[in-house]
Amino acid sequence: MIVESKNRRYARMAAAWFITALFVFPLYYWGTTAFKQAKEIFSVPPTVWSFTPTLRNFEEVFGISFGFLRQQEVLPGGGNFYMAPRLWDSIVVGLFSTALAIAISTFAAYALSRMDFRGRHHFVAWVLSTRMMPPVAVAIPMFFIYKDIGLMDSYTGIILIHALMNLPLAVLLLKSFFDDIPREIDESAIVDGASRWKIFRRIILPMAKGGIAATAVLCFIFSWTEFIFVLTLTQTGLKTVPVVSSSFVTSTGTAWGNMAALGVAAMAPAFLFILLVQKQLVRGLTLGSLKQ
Amino acid sequence: MAEVAYHNICKSYGSVEVMRDLSLSIQDGEFAVLLGASGCGKTTLLRMTAGLENITGGELTIDGKVMNEVHPRDRDIAMVFQNYALYPTMKVFDNIAFSLEVKRLSKEEIKRKVNEAAAVLNLTDYLDRYPRELSGGQRQRVAMGRAMVRDAKVFLFDEPLSNLDAKLRAHMRVEIRQLHERLKATTVYVTHDQIEAMTMADKIVLMKGGRIEQVGTPDDLYDRPATRFAADFIGSPSMNFVEGDITTEDGNPHFVGPHINLPLDTGLKAEQGQKVICGLRPSDLVTTKSGEIKGTVKLVEKTGADVNIHVDLSETANLVATMARDNGAVAGGSIELTIPPRAVHLFDAETENRIETQTTG
Repeated sequence: MIVESKNRRYARMAAAWFITALFVFPLYYWGTTAFKQAKEIFSVPPTVWSFTPTLRNFEEVFGISFGFLRQQEVLPGGGNFYMAPRLWDSIVVGLFSTALAIAISTFAAYALSRMDFRGRHHFVAWVLSTRMMPPVAVAIPMFFIYKDIGLMDSYTGIILIHALMNLPLAVLLLKSFFDDIPREIDESAIVDGASRWKIFRRIILPMAKGGIAATAVLCFIFSWTEFIFVLTLTQTGLKTVPVVSSSFVTSTGTAWGNMAALGVAAMAPAFLFILLVQKQLVRGLTLGSLKQ
Repeated sequence: MAEVAYHNICKSYGSVEVMRDLSLSIQDGEFAVLLGASGCGKTTLLRMTAGLENITGGELTIDGKVMNEVHPRDRDIAMVFQNYALYPTMKVFDNIAFSLEVKRLSKEEIKRKVNEAAAVLNLTDYLDRYPRELSGGQRQRVAMGRAMVRDAKVFLFDEPLSNLDAKLRAHMRVEIRQLHERLKATTVYVTHDQIEAMTMADKIVLMKGGRIEQVGTPDDLYDRPATRFAADFIGSPSMNFVEGDITTEDGNPHFVGPHINLPLDTGLKAEQGQKVICGLRPSDLVTTKSGEIKGTVKLVEKTGADVNIHVDLSETANLVATMARDNGAVAGGSIELTIPPRAVHLFDAETENRIETQTTG
């Protein structure tokens, strides 16, 4: 056992807390901004702990009333900050693009992990290389393609492009999860008489659940935070949260409170999604299959 | 029930040849053990039998039918893997039932067969558990149950006991052998453990470098090892080897080496002056006053009922003798040993092949 002096331990703890606070503070400030009134956001000195909380920012962003005292105040820009449908757009795009990416990549990854074909190794490198292109380089050509084939400004278009951008990473991640499943398990099932499809569905897929969940989380977060494609490939039909956040910046000022309220609210679905798949994440992968 | 036969089997990985012209026949109902050090090709041969590995050349037949291109599921084989390869997301019942489910047997029939196998293997109380909730020995039995319910013609075992502790291994050896007595299915069993081979096999196939070194019953391999390698591999502690020459004294052949002068059987098929390697099993050596073998005791190693006495004959030659505890040998003392002429094994120093020391029969 390593014996550490008390002072040393306290110093270490203090340093850890200090660094943690340093990172958490901006989040805290952002979170509290969502509950502040416009005049308090920029008050000098800044109100960190004591301010008069208000739900007004949320009311404006989501078009609902919490029944509190309504202050008659002119909004900066005077525009409409009703954003509930945009949150819905984000959820739809996030869920469907993740589902699509996972559906395609599990098959691809299993094939890459288990089947022998010419150039398999190069194929993997090639898949990864497609992800090295900066998204902007893809976005501009896609703008013209989407305009021509009529996918512009549609859910389908955004879901497809998000799924597409996620595929390389998802395939490689899942491949490594499949690679971790011992081949003897496949072989044992082959001798048992099972077809390739049956082995995949009944044995491999349930074992890879944790890996699939982890990959899904990453895909979802990518889609949830993606900016450039939604910006270039949509007009009025749909807009996801990251893009719409920029609309709080108006010619007459920035609605910081509303922006913070949307940001805080946008964390909730992503958080919920991760919470749902988390159970799968921690589950042991090949536990009990092999001698440990 | 089936005969498994290999005719001139070859195996290469790319340009690397790992097996050449291997021929072997395993009779119906026989328990054959493929024995050898790691990398000798025993597992490759087993996997080719299962159809998990392509056969580069030659022919594999099961029950007279050529199997080279037949899919594993159509070979009517069952296999137990070294790491058991249980399906971790399925309960024990479903693990055992999987192959039956694939065959689309009725629910009742699956249940009957699984319960039957579970009863034989003492797994009835564990059918509802996941593999991770079982001990090593129980997992091993589930793997066997999975093979059992298939009523396969040929059973293949790939080092199934190597992950178990010594005590459990001894227990499972008996269980597997009993299972074989019961099912009478042709069995091919791969191991690197000579004790497993000796205790379980009807026929041992000793392999080295992709070739068969010797095929025979356990007694054959122990009593008449065909090569120095075979002699070295079988038996524990392993055989002592001393280099020397054949001489004739009073018209009788003798082996002469460092501090050794052993009379040999008269039926010896060796020539005067031939360089040979003399093989002496530790358990065949006994103490004597006549001094055929003289040496210094270096170490007395206790193993329980017996002791292993390590003896230095010269700077380079030493040997081990296994004796009862009360033999009086002490480290540092001198010792004189002898061995009955019939128990002496001789190998040609160059070819390392056996030289018959006794008239056949």
